[in-house]
Amino acid sequence: MRYPAYTLYFVFFLLFALPVSAQNYTLSGVVRAAATGEALVGATVAVPGLRAGTTTNERGFYTLLLPQGNYTVQATYIGYNPYSGNVSISGNQSLNIPLELASNELQVIEIEASTLRQKLNDTRMSVEKLTTKEAKLLPALFGEVDLIKTLQLKPGVQSGGEGSSGLYVRGGGPDQNLVLLDDALIYNPSHLFGFFSVFNSDAVKSVELYKGGFPAQFGGRLSSVVDVEMTEGNNERIQATGGLGLISSRLTLDGPIVKDKATFLISGRRTYVDVFTRQLNRLSEGKPDYNPIPDYYFYDLNGKVNYKIGEKDELTLSSYWGRDFFTFKDDDFKFGFDWGNSMASLNWRHKYNDRLYSNTSAGITKYKYTINNEIDIFSFKLTSDIADYTLKTDFDLFLTGGHSLKFGASATRHNFTIGRLNFDSDDNSLSFGAGNDYKATEFGAYIADDYQVNAQLSLNYGLRFSGFSNSKTYFAVEPRVAAKYNLSENTSLKGSFASMMQYVHLVANSGASLPTDIWYPSSEYVKPQRSHQVAAGISQLFGNGKFLFTNEVYYKWMARQIDFRDGANLFVNDDLEAEFLFGKGKSYGNEVYLEKIKGRTTGWVGYTLSWTYRKFNSENPEDAINEGNWFPTRYDRRHDISVVLLHQLSKRINLTGAFTYGTGNAYSLPVARFAFQDVQGQRSSVVPVYSERNGFRLAPNHRLDLGLVLKLNPKRGSSDLTFSVYNAYNRRNPYFVYFDQVEDEETRQTLKFQARQVSLFPTIPSVTYNFKF
Amino acid sequence: MRLKAILYFVLPILMLATACDLEKDIEVILPEHTPQLVVEGYLQQGKAFRVTVTESSSYFDAPQPPFVPDAEVYITHNGRRIKLNYKPTVSPGGTKYYTHTSTEIMKGKVGDIFGLEVTDGKGRKVTGFTTILPLVPIEEVEWKFNEKEKAYLLTSFQDNPDAANYYRYVTHVDSLNTRPERDFTLDDNLTNGKRTTLGSAYDYDRNDTIIVSLYHIEKQYCDFLNSVDNAKDANGNPFAQPSKIKSSVQGGIGIFTNLVFQRKTVVLH
Repeated sequence: MRYPAYTLYFVFFLLFALPVSAQNYTLSGVVRAAATGEALVGATVAVPGLRAGTTTNERGFYTLLLPQGNYTVQATYIGYNPYSGNVSISGNQSLNIPLELASNELQVIEIEASTLRQKLNDTRMSVEKLTTKEAKLLPALFGEVDLIKTLQLKPGVQSGGEGSSGLYVRGGGPDQNLVLLDDALIYNPSHLFGFFSVFNSDAVKSVELYKGGFPAQFGGRLSSVVDVEMTEGNNERIQATGGLGLISSRLTLDGPIVKDKATFLISGRRTYVDVFTRQLNRLSEGKPDYNPIPDYYFYDLNGKVNYKIGEKDELTLSSYWGRDFFTFKDDDFKFGFDWGNSMASLNWRHKYNDRLYSNTSAGITKYKYTINNEIDIFSFKLTSDIADYTLKTDFDLFLTGGHSLKFGASATRHNFTIGRLNFDSDDNSLSFGAGNDYKATEFGAYIADDYQVNAQLSLNYGLRFSGFSNSKTYFAVEPRVAAKYNLSENTSLKGSFASMMQYVHLVANSGASLPTDIWYPSSEYVKPQRSHQVAAGISQLFGNGKFLFTNEVYYKWMARQIDFRDGANLFVNDDLEAEFLFGKGKSYGNEVYLEKIKGRTTGWVGYTLSWTYRKFNSENPEDAINEGNWFPTRYDRRHDISVVLLHQLSKRINLTGAFTYGTGNAYSLPVARFAFQDVQGQRSSVVPVYSERNGFRLAPNHRLDLGLVLKLNPKRGSSDLTFSVYNAYNRRNPYFVYFDQVEDEETRQTLKFQARQVSLFPTIPSVTYNFKF
Repeated sequence: MRLKAILYFVLPILMLATACDLEKDIEVILPEHTPQLVVEGYLQQGKAFRVTVTESSSYFDAPQPPFVPDAEVYITHNGRRIKLNYKPTVSPGGTKYYTHTSTEIMKGKVGDIFGLEVTDGKGRKVTGFTTILPLVPIEEVEWKFNEKEKAYLLTSFQDNPDAANYYRYVTHVDSLNTRPERDFTLDDNLTNGKRTTLGSAYDYDRNDTIIVSLYHIEKQYCDFLNSVDNAKDANGNPFAQPSKIKSSVQGGIGIFTNLVFQRKTVVLH
């Protein structure tokens, strides 16, 4: 592959970076939590007088380029009191900043206001950040707080369907999201067909979603980066956090192992609907015509250990283990289905000196599903899994003249087992198997420069070199550029370009997130997916810094997208590649966002106007989707509105509300039908004839969720009751539509055909008890 | 086993949807549909040529499929062109109707090609071909009872390793005039050249009469049957993708094939 144009861009930006103002000096240092000494990642350090600002890196380190003079330096971080101090710059200077922990929630919200300025001054664009603290205040389906679902309330992000935790970012599919938990990849981040994400709210601290303008350290997926950070153990004392909900319970223990040296966190969550269904089954045992209710539950376990070896080194071990179980058995028949992710990652952070830091990790991540089916002496077992072993290292180098370089490399060994089937009988009368194993290597190396050109202009430009080796080896160059220009103290313009590659592909042809969805490597026949995205936007701070308004437009091109032939067998198929179709996609839109964080009433309003299309041609015209013409994806949503309000009624009571409206999903419906008698005639039936793919629209989706958090006053620790009402005005949102055959009850004669709409969730109230001590 | 088995898990949720009255009638405006000829023709050794010709309808039109009286139907074989006359007939069991028939009996040998040609007054034309396949015999039908007096059934046959083969397996209980109890197609991708055994669950009682039919079918017939199942499945399954009908005929919708099968009747003593 040749990318002369991109290489030129890169050289251009390198040249651009060279002229450095001679009279500027560097102010640098580390922002830490005053009480624990913990470095604060992503804290804002700003010099308002110069409209200059930056954020701290993974080590809490910051660097600012300032001309000679006296300035006020401000530092802010969510949950901490802001810092303000004066410095006199006459040469390169160091300033370490300690931040005090904020004492109550209201103060936290006040302090978050400063993050608006941080957003304004951030070179990055198209980034959404959410903390568990925010998400816990918002109403949730069945009371299950879910950071991923809260992200769906942000512009440019759509859900896969009602109640789904799938993320459709700027026209991309859920398989095009790079989902990272403490830097380790999670392949299938959902439970129960996507209704719940795998992220337990007690174990997760925050999530950052990149919709575009991807920094060069990220690669491997086309459409977004979902960077989830796990909570670290408390350094001061052992504490327990937990909750009792409608369908699940949570418990987290964390604290110091060795004070100021090592901390731990262990967290678990389990659903318990199966406890009740088992009781029901037991009570109804022996009743005629009683069909036992199948067993279903899922659980998650998160663990994290931090160990500070010395001033310069720190080790972190993060792990996740989650499983869904579905079982059904009676005397003759046993059916078991389990699936889940597991991940372990060891991370070593090292400080070489005040300017050079490294972060090196080795990890394993795995997704697996197993279906077991036993009837008497016969057994059927189907397994698919993917296991990755990854080694990666990142360096941060802070240079003079406003440059900070980030560079690194990663290598992943993928092991795929696809559709491993065993069919046996105890008496050996039957036995056959199928399935394929593949091994592949994915690698990447990057370099990026965060360059503050002057007080107004900052750039982040870089290049990622990536590759993948299976039966064929692919290489690609992925240029990334982002720029910010401050028009005034309160207004900034931003623009970005990012090119992304995706070498592993999800084999799934349904709209839902199914556990049987499995990943497939690029090969000689299956080429890697590629996307290019440009985005431009304006950010405006107004109302004394209380409100931030942003407006972003984007256009994304996607090449070598994958879909499947009609009636493709993706389940047990030794020649899966023969079922693939390759095509292209495009998505463009405008995202408007107004956010208020300061005051007792906070929240945001988001509006997205967007278009998303795909096109799949084939050498065999019979196989082309929509006759090879462009068609809207199911989640092509012309209008998408979300309004989120949080109001602190008193110190003890928080009220929240979230309203969402979205254009109905694009949907395929049959336009005609014919009668099919078959050979004997007894199987005579009506067969639908489909024409245009996704040519119809379901009714719009809208609903209002309400929440109330009541803080209790226990003798020890803190606790609250969280009430949620999902779909408060009981809107019947369409889940799907089908055409029913209406028959005369006596004669069984068909009277007519009728379109019917099925909805999923009516008004669902729930209450959750949360505690911490 | 297909993905729709997954629906099983979502059943409790769909049941909840039904319980809370989460279904309602809605109005859908469909684009205008130009009716297409629909043809079903199954040739069978020693049986008269019979074909059914109807039309597709817009989904919300009257339920009865419209006949096409002016359609002319021809079967071609070895240079001969046999005309089938428009004469709507109901089969002896009353379960099936034919629109075009001939008194001529089909005689063909393995490898013979038969053609179909349908034209009508609107200028529509449908054509198709079918090749006679060899019979694949059922080698064994066996069953076993458990202590609850329920039996499972196993049907075995030998696959030919030198060709890609497609099969349709159908079982009826007591009579062929009932709806099939099991009916599915399979290919030999995973079992090429092997003795293949098809099983069941403990579905049968003592003294049940089971009629087992094993059809050796053409790929075009297998594709058509699967596409029909997928299209029906897509109407009402929120996880399914819409599926095109893979007709074996050109110029319209439908199937033109030949039936080569062996049938065994067993009484489960």
